[in-house]
Amino acid sequence: MCGIAGIARREPRGTCAETLGRMAASIRHRGPDGFGLFLGPRVGFASVRLSIIDVVGGAQPLGNEDGRIVIVQNGEVYNYIELRRELEAKGHRFRTHSDTEVLVHGYEEWGEAMLGRLNGQFAFVIYDRRSERLFLARDRFGVRPLFYAVSGGDLYFASEAKALFASGEVEASPDLAGLDEVFTFWAPRAPRTTFRGVSALEPGCCAVWRDGRLETRRYFDLDYPEAREEPPDTLQALDALMRTGVSLRMRADVPVGGYLSGGLDSSIVCSLAAAASPYQLRTFSVTFDDPGLDESVHQQEVAAGVGSLHLVQPIRRETIAQVFPDVIRHTETPLVRTAPAPMFLLSRLTRDNAVKVVLTGEGSDEMFLGYDLFKETAVRRFCLRQPQSRSRPRLFDRLYPYLRREAQGGELWRRFFLTAGSADDPLFSHQPRFQLTARIKEFYSGDVRAALCGFDALQELRGALPASFGRWSFLNQAAYLEIVTLLEGYLLSSQGDRMGMAHSVEGRFPYLDHRLFAFAASLPTRSKLRGLHEKAVLRRWAAGKVPPSIAQRAKQPYRAPDAPTFFGPGRPEYVGELLDECALARTRMFDPQAVAGLVRRCEAGRATGFRENQALVGILSAQLWHHEFFERPQTPEPIAIDRADVVLREVDPVGAGPNPIPSGARG
Amino acid sequence: MTETEVAALTRAYIVENFLYMRRDFRFQDGDSLLVSGVVDSLGIMELVEFIGAEFGFEVDPAEITEENFGTLAGIARYVVAKRACTGTA
Repeated sequence: MCGIAGIARREPRGTCAETLGRMAASIRHRGPDGFGLFLGPRVGFASVRLSIIDVVGGAQPLGNEDGRIVIVQNGEVYNYIELRRELEAKGHRFRTHSDTEVLVHGYEEWGEAMLGRLNGQFAFVIYDRRSERLFLARDRFGVRPLFYAVSGGDLYFASEAKALFASGEVEASPDLAGLDEVFTFWAPRAPRTTFRGVSALEPGCCAVWRDGRLETRRYFDLDYPEAREEPPDTLQALDALMRTGVSLRMRADVPVGGYLSGGLDSSIVCSLAAAASPYQLRTFSVTFDDPGLDESVHQQEVAAGVGSLHLVQPIRRETIAQVFPDVIRHTETPLVRTAPAPMFLLSRLTRDNAVKVVLTGEGSDEMFLGYDLFKETAVRRFCLRQPQSRSRPRLFDRLYPYLRREAQGGELWRRFFLTAGSADDPLFSHQPRFQLTARIKEFYSGDVRAALCGFDALQELRGALPASFGRWSFLNQAAYLEIVTLLEGYLLSSQGDRMGMAHSVEGRFPYLDHRLFAFAASLPTRSKLRGLHEKAVLRRWAAGKVPPSIAQRAKQPYRAPDAPTFFGPGRPEYVGELLDECALARTRMFDPQAVAGLVRRCEAGRATGFRENQALVGILSAQLWHHEFFERPQTPEPIAIDRADVVLREVDPVGAGPNPIPSGARG
Repeated sequence: MTETEVAALTRAYIVENFLYMRRDFRFQDGDSLLVSGVVDSLGIMELVEFIGAEFGFEVDPAEITEENFGTLAGIARYVVAKRACTGTA
C-alpha cells in the first residue's frame, strides 16, 4: 500500500523532481516508510511507500531487467507468489520479493490480459518505454483510488486529488454535478469527482495514454448469472472461498490485525484471521456512548471467542466534530453522514498500536444481500402487487428495529415506501434513499440551481446501466446499484481507503475477492435473502464458526451521531464560522436564509430526522471542503530528492539494447 | 376555535419548521403533507407533539392516521372534533 503520483508529458520537455516531490508530499500519509522517484523527459513518477510486502527490497518506482518498463503501484496483488512461480517458469528473472515486481513481469508476459489473473486491490501505472505509452489500471471493485487530469495536453495522475493540485499544474475548482451526485448517491459516481477536470479511473477499468490521448476500457464487468437451484456443494465451495480469501489477505511481512464491528461479517473474518495468524491477532473496534449505536457487548464476545488482543476507540459525541475538518481533508468530498469520522479515529488507534494492515468485513452485505434496503425492496414490490392489501404494508414495521420507535411504524411511515417509485423504474430499489438524500438540494443557492439546470443524476445513472441489467432479478439489480452508487464511491473511499490511509493503515477486504463475488452472484437470490432473513447462506456456513448469538444476530448498520455532534457542549468554532451568512455567501453553494433555519432547528435540538441531520452534515462538510480546497489551498514543501530511497532516471533511448536504469541516492 | 383557525395556526408552524428551506413552496389545505414531502415520519411526530401542546389535549397514537394527519384540512377537522369531545373547545 502506498501513494502514487506522476506526470506524462505529450512532448518530452522533462519532469521535475521538485514538482513530483511536492505531489508526493501531499500524500505522504499514505506512505511514510519510503519515497522514490522516476525522472524522464516525458514521464515522471513519485511513490510514497507503506512497506508491507518485501519491506526491504520492494522500494518503488520499480523497473524490469532492461529498464524499459517502470511501475508505481498502490495496493497489493495477493496471489503474487503463484504468479511469480508461473512467470519464473517462463524465464523471467526477479530482483525483489515484492508483489509489484510481479506486475512488471506479468505485463511483459501477458500485456493487458494480466489484469484477469490478478487477485488483489491495486491501482498502478506502468510506463512502457518500448511503445511510449502509459498503462493505468484499477482493481475490480475500486478498493484503491486512482485520479487523473489532463492539463495543457499532459496527463497527471495520483492516489488522491490533492496531489494533482500540489503539482501546481492542475487547477482545483468545484464540479457542481459531482456535488449533486453526493447529494443523490452519497458520493460522486466514477469517473466523475467533485473537482472539475479531475476524473477517477473507474473500478474494473484500465486506460492507455499515448500521443496525448487517454483511452479507457473496462476489463471486469459485474454480472449476475443466477442459478435456478443452489448447487449441492455450495457450503463447501463457500468454505474454500472464505478461507482462501482470508489467508491470501494475511500475506504480509508485517502483523495483520482486524476491524471488529460486532456483526456477522467482521466476526467471520476475524475468526478466520485468528486461526490463520502465526501470532495473537489484534482486533480494533469503535464504541459509542449512545447505546443505540454501540455494539461493544458483541465485539467483546467475539474478541474473547477468537482470543484476540482487543483494543477499543471510544467515540464521544463531541469527538466527531473535533476531527471532522481532518476527515474532509482526507475524503476530498462532502459527506451526508459523519460515519467516516469514527473510522478516522480507529485507524489512528490501529497505527498507534503498530498495526498497519487490517482485515475488515466490508463487501459482504453487497454480495449476500445483507442490507435492509434489499428487504425493503422485496416488501415494496410485494405490497405494490396488491395495492389494496392492508396487511402487506405492515411488513414495513419489521424492517428497521434499530431506529427510534417514534421514527417508524404506522400508516404514514408505510406510505413513504409505497409512494417512492414505480416498480418499472430500474432504480426502483434505491428510490427511497435517493429521494431522501436529495432533500438536501432544497438548500441549494440560486446559483447552484441555475448551474445544475438540465443535470439529472438519476437519468445519467439509468443511461449508464449495462445491457444485461434488465435480465437480472430485481434483487440483483438492487445489489448492482448498491455497488456502483455506494460501495465504490463512499464505503471503500470516504469510509474506507481515505480513513485508513489518513493514518497509514491499509484495509483488506476478503468479501471483495472477485472469486467470492462470482460465486455469490451465481447463487439463487433466495439463498441469500430468504423471506426477510438476510445473508442466509453465509449464516448457514458460519454456524459453529462464530458464537451462535453472532451467527443469528440481525444486521445492525454502522452509524454515528450526526447533527448533535456539532451543536453540543464544546462546539468547535468552525461550525459557526462556516455556517454564517458571510461564509455561505462567499461559497455560493447554499441559501443562507435556509441554512439559518436549519441551524436554528439544530441549536434547539429539534433536528431529529434523517432529512435535517443529513442536510446539516452535507452543508457543513461542503463548506469545509470548499474552504480546504478552493479558499486556502496548501502548497506542501516537496520531499527533497536526497531523501529518496530510490531514484530512477531514464538515460538513453529505447532500442540501444539493454538499458539498466541506474539507482541513485540511497537506493 | 374553528377549522380555519386551526389550519392557519398549524400552517404557520409547518412553514416555520418544515418549509424554512422552501420558502416559495405553496400547498393547499387538502394537499398530502407526506406525498408532497412537507414532512417525513419523524416530522409527523413533531407535528403531533405541536398539535397536542397547542390545542390542549393528548393525541392517541391510534389516531395518527393519514385521515387525521395526512393534510392540513384533516388536521383541522381532527383537532376541532377532538376538542369538542374532550371538552377543550
